[in-house]
Amino acid sequence: METPYAIEMLNITKRFPGIIANDNITLQLKRGEIHALLGENGAGKSTLMSVLFGLYQAEEGVIKKDGREVQIKDPNDANALGIGMVHQHFKLVECFSVLDNIILGVEPVGKMGILQKQEARKKVVELSDKYGLQVDPDALIEDITVGMQQRTEILKMLYRENEILIFDEPTAVLTPQEIDELMKIMKNLAAEGKSILFISHKLAEIMAVADRCTVLRKGKYVGTVETANSSPEELSAMMVGRNVNFHVDKKPAEPTDVVLEIEHMSVASKAHKKDAVHDVSLKVRRGEIVCIAGIDGNGQSEFVYGLTGLEPLREGKLILAGKDITHATIRERSTSGMSHIPEDRHKHGLVLDYTLEDNLVLQRYFEPEFTNGAGFLRRDNIRKYAERLIADYDVRSGQGPITRARAMSGGNQQKAIIAREVDKDPDLLVAVQPTRGLDVGAIEFVHKKLVEQRDAGKAVLLISLELDEVMDVPDRILVMYEGEIVGELDPKTTTQEELGLYMAGAKRDEVSA
Amino acid sequence: MKKNLLKSNAVQSLIASLLCIVLGLLLGYIVLLFINPTGAGEAIMAVIKNFWNYSRAPLQVKNFGNTLVKTAPLLMCALSVLFAYKVGLFNIGAAGQYVVGSCACLYGALALHLSWFPCLLLALIVGGVYGALVGLLKAYCNVNEVISGIMLNWIGLYTTNMLLAGVKESTSPYTLHLKTDAPQAMLPTLGLGKFFNNNGNVTVAIPLAIIFAVAIMILLDKTKLGYELRATGNNKNAAKYAGMAEKRNIILTLVIAGSLAALGGAFLYLTDYEQWSVTQSSVPGMGFNGIAAAFLGGLNPIGTIFASYFIQHITVGGAYVDKTMYSSQISDLISSLIIYLCGFVLFIKYAINMGIAKSEEKQLQKEKAAADQASAEKGGDK
Amino acid sequence: MKKFLALLLSAVMVFALVACGGGGGTTEPATPAAPATTTPATPATPAEPATPATPATPAAPAAADMKVAMITDYGDITDQSFNQTTYEAAKSWSESNGVDFTYFKPASDSDDDRVAMIEKAIDEGYTVIVMPGYAFGPAIVATAPEYSDVTFIALDVSAGDLGDGFQMPANLYCAVYQEELCGYMAGYAAVKLGYSKLGFLGGMAVPAVVRYGYGFVQGADAAAAADGKTDVSIKYAYGNQFYGDGDITAAMDTWYAAGTEVVFACGGGIFTSAGEAAAKVGGKVIGVDVDQAPTIDGLYGANMTVTSAMKGLAATVNTLLTQVKDGSFAGGKVDTLGLVSANPEENYVQIPMGSTQWSDSFSKDDYKALVGDMFGGKVTVSNDITKAAGDFATVTTVEDLGNIK
Repeated sequence: METPYAIEMLNITKRFPGIIANDNITLQLKRGEIHALLGENGAGKSTLMSVLFGLYQAEEGVIKKDGREVQIKDPNDANALGIGMVHQHFKLVECFSVLDNIILGVEPVGKMGILQKQEARKKVVELSDKYGLQVDPDALIEDITVGMQQRTEILKMLYRENEILIFDEPTAVLTPQEIDELMKIMKNLAAEGKSILFISHKLAEIMAVADRCTVLRKGKYVGTVETANSSPEELSAMMVGRNVNFHVDKKPAEPTDVVLEIEHMSVASKAHKKDAVHDVSLKVRRGEIVCIAGIDGNGQSEFVYGLTGLEPLREGKLILAGKDITHATIRERSTSGMSHIPEDRHKHGLVLDYTLEDNLVLQRYFEPEFTNGAGFLRRDNIRKYAERLIADYDVRSGQGPITRARAMSGGNQQKAIIAREVDKDPDLLVAVQPTRGLDVGAIEFVHKKLVEQRDAGKAVLLISLELDEVMDVPDRILVMYEGEIVGELDPKTTTQEELGLYMAGAKRDEVSA
Repeated sequence: MKKNLLKSNAVQSLIASLLCIVLGLLLGYIVLLFINPTGAGEAIMAVIKNFWNYSRAPLQVKNFGNTLVKTAPLLMCALSVLFAYKVGLFNIGAAGQYVVGSCACLYGALALHLSWFPCLLLALIVGGVYGALVGLLKAYCNVNEVISGIMLNWIGLYTTNMLLAGVKESTSPYTLHLKTDAPQAMLPTLGLGKFFNNNGNVTVAIPLAIIFAVAIMILLDKTKLGYELRATGNNKNAAKYAGMAEKRNIILTLVIAGSLAALGGAFLYLTDYEQWSVTQSSVPGMGFNGIAAAFLGGLNPIGTIFASYFIQHITVGGAYVDKTMYSSQISDLISSLIIYLCGFVLFIKYAINMGIAKSEEKQLQKEKAAADQASAEKGGDK
Repeated sequence: MKKFLALLLSAVMVFALVACGGGGGTTEPATPAAPATTTPATPATPAEPATPATPATPAAPAAADMKVAMITDYGDITDQSFNQTTYEAAKSWSESNGVDFTYFKPASDSDDDRVAMIEKAIDEGYTVIVMPGYAFGPAIVATAPEYSDVTFIALDVSAGDLGDGFQMPANLYCAVYQEELCGYMAGYAAVKLGYSKLGFLGGMAVPAVVRYGYGFVQGADAAAAADGKTDVSIKYAYGNQFYGDGDITAAMDTWYAAGTEVVFACGGGIFTSAGEAAAKVGGKVIGVDVDQAPTIDGLYGANMTVTSAMKGLAATVNTLLTQVKDGSFAGGKVDTLGLVSANPEENYVQIPMGSTQWSDSFSKDDYKALVGDMFGGKVTVSNDITKAAGDFATVTTVEDLGNIK
């Protein structure tokens, strides 16, 4: 009995203590199609894919490959069935080279157990050229950008000649050009008969590349639609259960006095001898949102580290509200009116094993309100403060203030960080990819908060990789390319295409912002 | 109800620790069976009974006191390990800090003729400085604290041997008896010995060690410093991001840890229970056993009190194994096996959690099946 | 959940079994299988019914109630020295006399742990406690007067070890030895046997070791004087520990390389360093305490051991245990044991008749004559340990190197 489906997941149910992550979900992937899996954070997409990949076992339901029922007990089974996956959080060995990571587990071994890397290298270089996935096979994973790491993951899958390819939010870290390239690659792969599952919550991408789209909401199956017969609005409504306002409503900016002034800032790179940030000068005023746009790995992270004090400057001067903070400690910057929503909420933003309330006072615990003269924490005040923030910012968690941060969803973790940083009432809010990995509802919330801050007379410095965000939120756009500001754009007049050219280094102005 | 109880971290720790103990004893028993099956049961009981091996109550009480005397230093070492561990540091140097603490208090007592309190202070300061060395190396040169700790253990041992050679008995490798040569440095007994058949070794060290355990718990849980230190231990990037002085915290942690372990040394040697042998060529096991005690105690200062006692109990109990059946090293082996198994607390806790998760899944399935049935019977109202 | 409970339950059950087994062990000595299949070591088991020496009747004479326990000092019964000799002597005496014997090893090297073990032995009904080593001083002070119905036999424990003002109770007997005498014999023999470059490697400079050393110097000096030799030299040093290690072996290497022919390795396990170094260059060693020829020659090569300066630990143990058994035990004193006869083999200090490498220049008869002179008072040996080693040299040169470590 011939079936058009490469993989079928029928009536899958997977429970975790306290929640049903997948509730009777059916997903049918046709051979040679690109099938999008759409849903908000926590909708159960990753769980469903983990079931398919053998990382979890479903309690109910069956998985069929080419119409035959199969058991997938672990990733090895999945591999044997030709299923490959690029995870949202990469599974790479940091201290291995790109090539070593790609061949890991399928090492070409010659006599006496000696690795035969030459052939593997040839194949990797071929694949890399063919699909335009630029990587340096000999670079160590820990030295390369997130984008390159993802390309390594994709190559890993291609190297194994998997038939069913799962992409778990693959575009989050790619440039517009790279995204286009990836879309082409995906279409090529599909044309060659490979079946692609594409997990995303970016409607535009789904509309552009997917043939069909299955939508999940809160662990439940909502429906499967042909993208050709659908619209972003319809998908969005299916995903969130209501219509979302895509455009950020905001009044025209009324910038006043300068809050942050950066003069000729340079930050040394850890990976190479060149500066990661070179001779950047800019000003941010009260009442405006300035966005640093750019492709991942062009010095934005180092720029933020230098600005917030996590790394020393090699050269330059920082002035915050008239005060020279070039050599100030992180704490001094923070108490002088700088708030920082960090890029990586797990690495910097939260102490995951601390409770929510302890995380909410992470920037203020030392203030007299929370620590008495003898050095003891004032637990009652911390609780009250946490309860207020939780209410004001709608931070949802299982047990309220005493929930471990680790047990909270990504969106609520981010909300907690935003609550903490915004409630500090800063002069300058540095928000680095504040919507990374968030669903539409949460993104809307974050954008609203940023605009609120602007309207309250704060200076907001947004660092973003998301084109939509770059176009919608800020009042000014500064494009960073290879550690330098290469252009200043007005979001009202510029186009995505123009922005892309600047981001890709194809165009540059002499800017003195 | 029961499930909730099992889910609680404290209950899990307790169960895990008890299981470790049972497993350790079981393994010890099996080893004894292999060596000589006839006396295995008796031997393992001798280890468990420790002072109950004596038939007369006065002797039992007295030897119970002796076990307590040795528990105090172990508890301090365990607290040292625990404290550093909470800040993300593995203080294997506790053994060396214990040694320099012993050195400082004995030198203070015998060479400088200080009384007990200055001796304690001296040990505390020297231990703190010794811990700071590890901290400085870690903070400024990024030297792994395990490596520098192990090296400093040996440096401490030989320095101690050298220094204390000046205050040893002329005819033996032992340091002079405090009872005779420095009675002013003997820790006060506060009359505690009365409760232990006039055991003069039972001193203020025992309540002090317990007070330290409580103090460490308060410091970690209730103070700003504890908040910072734990944050550093859990996520040093976040701690740095929040403006905490990471380097200072690392050094401070090891200073405190060093002081605790060093006081442990003072708590033993200022009772004159043991004399330091200046020819010993291995680092005393107290600091290493502290690692086991800290883990067996579920990394909780109060749990560590009991864990330290238990470990010392079986260590001393090992001496009562019938030596005509088992060579004297066997008792050490059995105690070590049990201590080793004590390190498996975290593993067993993990196993418990896995078990709970699995059983809950099954429960959920059952409930759902029941609910489905019920709704089917009701005609599927939603 | 159930599985976990089952695991827990089974663990507890096994634990309980262990407990039962432990308790049962003492109550089931009558099981015939166990005694029949066990090794000869088991007669020492307290509850062993087959041993005739422990009848259950309480009215038996004192000797029949006798049970002997030895406590080790910081060493072990396999130390090839003090503890081992004492252990073997006490054990063989007990076996041949049908007396219960066991030994205890304290939990750690401390007085209180030694006290704990002494009390443990007494608590288990042992009536004679044998303790080798000066380290027992304070432990004896703490226990001997209190347990007046128990006999304490302490070897190498001097009045000084017991402290000033300690009243020797009648149930305590201490023995110290005139090590200087057998040291003298060994030194005398070495020079007479033709060696002129000698070495003395002591353990720690404790009185017993110093006496050995000074006796050795005096003996060598006397032999040199008798033969009119002036080229006899002695390197004199302590290892500052009772075991050999790399550092001490290195020092011994330089000695032998510089021409030293024979080293008197005097202190516990320190002979290993001398033996190792000697083996490399074909040097010789003199043993101590017991006849170490079998041990050293076995480890480092035949004919390495010239002789051994022996003190009669075994003899003392045998004599005293026999006295206790006969009811003729006379305690309350510290005996200094040395020569009791002109017949060398009856003395508490001697060199071995069998393994000493006799030659024409120093034969068994020469040795007997020497002992006769010493016993008769014609030869006197100083035991003044307040002097320096070099003070005893008249015709020899002594190079006093102090502590190696």
